Amino acid sequence: MRALVIEDDPQLRAQVAQFLADAGYAVDTAADGEEGQYMAVEYPLDIAIVDLGLPKTSGLAVIRAVRKAQRKYPILILTARDGWQTKVEGLEAGADDYLVKPFHREELLARARALVRRSGGWTHSRLESGPVILDTAAKSVTLAGEPVELTAFEYRVLEYLLMHAGEVVSKTELSEHLYTEDEERDSNVIEVFIRRLRSKLDPESSLNPITTLRGSGYRWDLPRN
Amino acid sequence: MLVVASCVLAAFMALCAEGLIQAFQSSAAEVQRDKMQALVYALLGAAEAGEGGTLSLLGSALPDPRLSRVDSGLSALIFNDRGNVVWRSRSFTGDVPDIGSEVPGQSAFTEVAGHFTLSYGVRWAAESNGLHLFSSPPKPRRYTVMIMEDDAAYQAKLEAFRHTLWIGFGSSAAVLLLVQLLVLNWGLSPLRKLTQELRRVETGDQARILGSYPTELTPLADGLNAMLQNERSQQTRYRNALGDLAHSLKTPLAVLRGVLDSNPLEPPLRTQFEEPLRRVQDIAEYQLKRAGTVGRRTLSEPVAPRPIVEKTLAALAKVYADKGIQFANEVPPALRLRVDSGDMFELFGNLSDNAAKWCKKRVRIAASVNRRELLIEVEDDGPGFPEHAENLLERGVRADSRTPGQGIGLATVADIVASNEGRIELGRSATLGGGKVSLRWPV
Repeated sequence: MRALVIEDDPQLRAQVAQFLADAGYAVDTAADGEEGQYMAVEYPLDIAIVDLGLPKTSGLAVIRAVRKAQRKYPILILTARDGWQTKVEGLEAGADDYLVKPFHREELLARARALVRRSGGWTHSRLESGPVILDTAAKSVTLAGEPVELTAFEYRVLEYLLMHAGEVVSKTELSEHLYTEDEERDSNVIEVFIRRLRSKLDPESSLNPITTLRGSGYRWDLPRN
Repeated sequence: MLVVASCVLAAFMALCAEGLIQAFQSSAAEVQRDKMQALVYALLGAAEAGEGGTLSLLGSALPDPRLSRVDSGLSALIFNDRGNVVWRSRSFTGDVPDIGSEVPGQSAFTEVAGHFTLSYGVRWAAESNGLHLFSSPPKPRRYTVMIMEDDAAYQAKLEAFRHTLWIGFGSSAAVLLLVQLLVLNWGLSPLRKLTQELRRVETGDQARILGSYPTELTPLADGLNAMLQNERSQQTRYRNALGDLAHSLKTPLAVLRGVLDSNPLEPPLRTQFEEPLRRVQDIAEYQLKRAGTVGRRTLSEPVAPRPIVEKTLAALAKVYADKGIQFANEVPPALRLRVDSGDMFELFGNLSDNAAKWCKKRVRIAASVNRRELLIEVEDDGPGFPEHAENLLERGVRADSRTPGQGIGLATVADIVASNEGRIELGRSATLGGGKVSLRWPV
């Protein structure tokens, strides 16, 4: 999952970015509205966390620009102006939830998680598909009730595929959503992770959860429960 | 103003009329006196003094024929110095009045009991004829001539004059009053219009003074508009300043919070940080909200609550998307409230957020005006308020510490309601079965 943090306070920006990175997000950051708006419109994001009081371009304007550019990923507002008018304006402009400063790390992560999950069409924090259950809150995976040991990166690939269950996800898309702009990407690595996931989730090759579509990508093919 | 002007005009007219009547009366009396004085002289000219102080007057020599006609209204008496009547006109009837003799050459003029009376003192010697050549010249005697005339004619004349005068003055006063009324009405109509507009601004039917006014009043209307504008923009500036303060205060607080959350601290040390941090946070939040509450303002812009409720509910539907809440907005579209729009957002935001937080599926917001009292009800189908829920209305007390901010939200609502001279009640919803908050205030 790829997240963008637009916050002008350097300490808070670093902190929020760290929280999200620790939770398995690939995180880009912007210090003002202008830079933030560019990233928010151009980058392949799964969520943006936007402070409303930004220099250069206001958070509200950034949100409006994102929605105007037909970008549909969820946006979480961070605001110190906890007046309802501000919150309502932000949500009206296209944000999906708000968090009033100061906030707890867990609160922030829970909100972000819920937004991403909701945008993937899941109503519960446990993504259940066939015998596979991925608990987004606990970051654990079980197969027919048995825990499956995954590395952090394998987990991220699985989470992304499950979030988009039934959709075709290209290798580029996967790498774009799992790495930040600054990280070096190698789409061959993706193939490696897919192979490992298959062997861990389908040791007998009877389930076939991930279908490879030659030339276009992968698809999670188990039904959503 | 109209009444005063009319009263002054009426009083002025009445005084004028009375003065004219007085003047006319005294000049008429003067004329009467002159006429009677002339009659006295004529009478004296016709009189002949006889022996022993007698006087004789020939009927044919009388200066006025009315003197010889009974009940003609004009009569004359002549007294000698002892007060005895020496001559009376034929027209005289009734008792002889008892009068003292007048000093010769002096006259007294009175109007008593429907009569004008003129008494005139005279010293007169009987004329000697040839037969008494050697006798000593006759001693002059003193007489008093008294003329009485019925004043009916005079009174009638006076009455006629008074009548004509009053009619004249009355009708001209009426015309003047009418003209004055029209002029004042015309002159005051822009002011009246301005008052009406101001009242509409006050009741919230319009935002500013709109009509065009005569040049004398344009500065006033412009001034009022500037004042309204200034008051409102002042409010916006103030709110923005508060927002900036909140921003600059809360961002470092958020950093502190984050540091605390991401570093493993041992419980005693953690509590030592947690406690003050939470207190600073609560105080900042509550005081900033309170300072942002505008409260009742006579000339604040009227706001329609329905769109605000609509927006708030749409926003909450996003926030609580997982719950799939059915929100019912039963605020009448025509309702306008003289409550600051920021306050209104706070009010509906906090109450509906609270309801959405606790409800199972349904939240209902209704507003109505009944007998000059506004009633706003926010209900849900949740578990309802706990016992002693009134404590929630006091600042910063929380019903459930796991749901942060709720206490502050309700306390903010209570503050707004109080500053609008309203009341807040927490109860149970009869229709949805959960909690119900009722706000009432006079409109």
